[in-house]
Amino acid sequence: MKNLIKYIAEALVDNPDEVVVSEVEGERTSVIELKVAKEDLGKVIGKQGRTARAMRTILSAASTKIKKRSVLEILE
Amino acid sequence: MDFMEVEGKTIEEAIKKTCKEFNLPEEKLNIEVLSNGSSGLFGFMGMKKAKIRASLKEIKGEDKLVFAKRSLEEILVRLKVTATVDAEQIDDKILLNINGDGSGLLIGRRGRTLDALQHIVDKIVNRSSEDRKRIVIDTEGYRERRIESLKSLALKLGEKVKKIGKPVFITPLNAHDRRIIHMTLQNDDQLRTRSKGDGTLRKVVISTKRGHGINNPH
Repeated sequence: MKNLIKYIAEALVDNPDEVVVSEVEGERTSVIELKVAKEDLGKVIGKQGRTARAMRTILSAASTKIKKRSVLEILE
Repeated sequence: MDFMEVEGKTIEEAIKKTCKEFNLPEEKLNIEVLSNGSSGLFGFMGMKKAKIRASLKEIKGEDKLVFAKRSLEEILVRLKVTATVDAEQIDDKILLNINGDGSGLLIGRRGRTLDALQHIVDKIVNRSSEDRKRIVIDTEGYRERRIESLKSLALKLGEKVKKIGKPVFITPLNAHDRRIIHMTLQNDDQLRTRSKGDGTLRKVVISTKRGHGINNPH
């Protein structure tokens, strides 16, 4: 899960070195936290949050497969 | 994007190494010299290595096709999906077809997952705004099936509107799907279609044209 978001985020931003992804795993739900450089925030969120929503959709498809729930949090 | 720093005895050697590493000719790389290096005294005392920083040049045309395919494959691997991707380019469109296990996981409800993948790959490939290529991702012939079902929905609802004489709303659809509804009914001279609402909640309204209402059939 973490690798998935990390790959996507790094490919989207201008400063891939500043992408930090951490995962807090719960029994059924895991929270994935994404941190990017300030100027890249818009790139991972997208117009009207479209890119962020797309990442969440892909994440939930991946989670369904392993019968878990994942939440993506984009940290400012 | 990706860059790497490479050292060598001379700049030429460092560049050669880099090309080998990226598996690309020198023309496709941006090379920035960080340190010239010097052979020092007697070739060893005070010897400094040459150092360069190399990054990929703008990805264009044919390269974008390869890049789009690779990006999608990388995502699929991380989704733990075993699938192959066929890529082809038609005008300024890049079509990526996923040959998967047919589980529908990659499609999602009403194609949500497929649309999400498409959006992400589009953003990755068109990160620089020049030479934009539209990305279309498909699997198991879904796009074609979707168009057919939207067409029949449009026709069915069109008939309903004619019968009851009141406007009918369709649940919110994305721009591509709305367009299919409009196109399907555009030649029906009794009906008119409009889109209402904003953003993700935008939906199509099918109504009768003035003079074709229930009180005034034909």
